[in-house]
Amino acid sequence: MYRGREGQWAFYLHRLSGLGILVFLMLHVANISSAMWGPEVSNALMKFYHQPVFQLGLLLLIAGVLYHGFNGLRIILMDFTSWGVRYQRQLWYGVWVLFVLFYLPFLVKIGGGILGGGHGD
Amino acid sequence: MAIKSKRYEEARLEASTNLELYWWVFMRISGVVLVFLLIGHMWMNAILTDLNSIDYDYVAKRLSQTTWKIYDLLILGLGLLHGANGLRYVLDDWIRNPSRRFWTKVVLYGLIAFLFVLGSLSLFNHDFGVN
Repeated sequence: MYRGREGQWAFYLHRLSGLGILVFLMLHVANISSAMWGPEVSNALMKFYHQPVFQLGLLLLIAGVLYHGFNGLRIILMDFTSWGVRYQRQLWYGVWVLFVLFYLPFLVKIGGGILGGGHGD
Repeated sequence: MAIKSKRYEEARLEASTNLELYWWVFMRISGVVLVFLLIGHMWMNAILTDLNSIDYDYVAKRLSQTTWKIYDLLILGLGLLHGANGLRYVLDDWIRNPSRRFWTKVVLYGLIAFLFVLGSLSLFNHDFGVN
């Protein structure tokens, strides 16, 4: 359909990020819900997830959410406007502009935390 | 079959059932809502808060406030439904064997339903003893 150019990448990344977000969401709900079993269980899990490797994972997750969200808006524009499909490639570059704008604060805050060694107890 | 069309008019023609068309519409509506809910959620808990300070007390306090109960329930419900339906598109594409596809769906939908119950219990059926 897109002859292997930007549109194809947009599609694969959308699918990959969607699957990744779903896996995270399921782990996240299980982790947060564990608070029902009291502070010991909950804090032990939290401490486990505060390790730097999971914070890197979180940076990847946030990237996935922002891409999936903004590319989703691009898909909606393609669906409901008369010009969206014609400009799908330009819209995809727009997705990346929004992505960088929104991702930078997270990258600085969480990335800085990892490098600053402020993780865990 | 999942709808592949890129325009609403085409999607309506292609939809094999009304249900498939409703899912197509649901993905777009829930998608827009989730973009705002999730950017807000991530901003509050990763930028305005130090991620590493999040512990039981923080969670118990948040899950005890009506605003966040509603906010989180919206993310939980819309997110899991949006994710489950997206997963259905992917499984229909990638798993060719009908019986394997069926059982994969049974297991994964079951897991998703379980997490919805678990999450909503923590939002509405548990007293964290925080005012």
